[in-house]
Amino acid sequence: MFELKPMLSALWRNKVSAMLIALQLALTLAIVSNATAIVQDRLTSMARPTGMDVDNIIAITFMPVPKDYDMAGAVRADLDMMRSMPGVVDASVTNHIPVSGSGSASSFYLEPNAQIGDLDGNYYQTDPHFINTLGLNLIAGRNFSDDEMHVIGSNESFIGSVIIVTQQFADAAFPEGDALGKFLYHGSKDNPMEIIGIVERHLGAWPSWALAGNVVFHPLLVEGNHKRYLVRTEPGQRDAIFKQLEDKLAERDPQRVIHLETLSEKLASTHVSDNIMVKVLSAVMTLLTFIVALGIVGLTIFWINQRAKQIGIRRALGATRANISRYFLVENSLIAGTGLVLGTAGALIINQLMVSEFSQPVLSLTILAVCAILLFAVSLAAALMPAMRAANISPAMATRSI
Amino acid sequence: MLKMQNIRKSYRTDTIETHALRDFSLEVNEGEFVSVTGPSGSGKTTFLNIAGLLETPTGGEYLLDGQEIGGLSDRDRSRMRNEKIGFIFQGFNLIPDLNLFDNIDVPLRYRGFNTKERRRRIEKSLEQVGLSARAKHLPAQLSGGQQQRVAIARALAGEPRFLLADEPTGNLDSLMARQVMELLEFINEWGTTIIMVTHDPDLARRAQRNIQIVDGQVSDLRQSIAQEEIATV
Ligand SMILES: Nc1ncnc2c1ncn2[C@@H]1O[C@H](COP(=O)(O)OP(=O)(O)O)[C@@H](O)[C@H]1O
Ligand SMILES: [Mg+2]
Repeated sequence: MFELKPMLSALWRNKVSAMLIALQLALTLAIVSNATAIVQDRLTSMARPTGMDVDNIIAITFMPVPKDYDMAGAVRADLDMMRSMPGVVDASVTNHIPVSGSGSASSFYLEPNAQIGDLDGNYYQTDPHFINTLGLNLIAGRNFSDDEMHVIGSNESFIGSVIIVTQQFADAAFPEGDALGKFLYHGSKDNPMEIIGIVERHLGAWPSWALAGNVVFHPLLVEGNHKRYLVRTEPGQRDAIFKQLEDKLAERDPQRVIHLETLSEKLASTHVSDNIMVKVLSAVMTLLTFIVALGIVGLTIFWINQRAKQIGIRRALGATRANISRYFLVENSLIAGTGLVLGTAGALIINQLMVSEFSQPVLSLTILAVCAILLFAVSLAAALMPAMRAANISPAMATRSI
Repeated sequence: MLKMQNIRKSYRTDTIETHALRDFSLEVNEGEFVSVTGPSGSGKTTFLNIAGLLETPTGGEYLLDGQEIGGLSDRDRSRMRNEKIGFIFQGFNLIPDLNLFDNIDVPLRYRGFNTKERRRRIEKSLEQVGLSARAKHLPAQLSGGQQQRVAIARALAGEPRFLLADEPTGNLDSLMARQVMELLEFINEWGTTIIMVTHDPDLARRAQRNIQIVDGQVSDLRQSIAQEEIATV
């Protein structure tokens, strides 16, 4: 037996305060649901499988000092030395460390000399050992052979004739699933690059990039730039090998500056900004929800004090305690419901903006519904204590105070 | 109908204890119209509040309509107020946010009547007090006398056995006061027991019986018993 009609007309006479609370809830829902979408997106992106044996890989960067340094020779000697170390599974050279947050991307085309229809892909210049070193899973085709590996000077331009791609990239380029043996081109160039192999997964340089996982591998060593090695050890050997490597690399060539990191450290530091984002947004959401709850408590107490006499009258006319608490809870639900309907619209509008202007994730209706239900529960909980207090107002209030 | 025996009521604040009613005994019969007078602060409102189950006595026995009140739960007392007792207050006590129709509806909703029955009762009681045309008006749009008539309509709509009025004419000029009094007399003729607190000796005399409360006690029980005997002869 809800007194909806008279309740609504009474609310209408107090519409300013009611609207304030409703708007506060609307804004909270709009912000909290969008923030939740972002948090969820970040959490999923952080939880995304990398495709690599992250825990057992050491990443090494070295910067050659002298001008005419024999890069190719040094790389060959370093790799041979590292591969022969007991406990090392394999080692390979690469232009960038995966999941490190730094890398290169380029546009790939299905036709030569094309201007449109490009596909963005993260690319690596590496060697035939990269599959084994990263622990990737070759699901179709073959690995690079040693004679497909090219070494070029830093000023030379060269496009190889073979590439290996991730399955995700293969599917993006050839949705029919027949990528193997097909060709890709760099824009305004007509050198075909044949897809000779497909690896199941490689997350690439930027785990939170929208296209993370679109990766292309070239068998190429460009001299002169910084070079990086990746070394995969037997499980449990990583830290021991790490120490040996520092000494052995310095011993082999003391001239250069060497920097070693584990790939898991790299991945963690790449996630730092996402982690901070998640923490900041969670704090903002908690704070907002708390503030809106306080607002509701405050307003409900204010209204109850304002209507103490009226509550006494209702009690005198036969309202039970339960009738009184229920009145305020239903009233609160009406306000909250209005606010949450407005907030749903607001959330969707804000999300459109976030998607188009800041390439943030699309807000799912599930998240929106869950946030709305939670906020509704919070607002009910906030009104509960004042509503119970209202029920304790004595019916004698009707006769005592004028 | 109503029987109070040795009712006590005391209010305790941090520093003082006020004995609002002491050894208060009274019997009111079905269909009586009793007026209550007495100096300010003597305990008249306290008596009405206890009679109307708005407050519980500190001690003593109270039987209403054959029912011992002492053992009732808050919920039962609420229901009894709702079904058996009508209240009329000095300050009218209409709910300012609700129009007349909705004001009269308040106790009927707690009673659990269906929409049709409520509408029938509201329209009938508004007609009885001559305010049918004003159903959609807010209390603030009415004069004091009209507001008090709405309050009476609200009390009547529940068809109570028992009507309690605390200085119902206290805020009205004499013409309006007379109209309200006539309305109460009319209601009493139809069988409703009425207890009315008033300061107006003329109105008090119009009741079948007058009791005076002084210092929390019925001042002259003998006189009122004597009057009662006259009334029953
Ligand atoms: N809630 C209360 N707390 C303390 N004292 C009260 C309270 N209500 C009434 N009183 C005291 O009880 C006495 C009787 O009050 P009341 O019944 O209102 O008198 P009347 O209606 O005859 O003027 C007065 O002294 C009054 O101050
Ligand atoms: Mg009084």
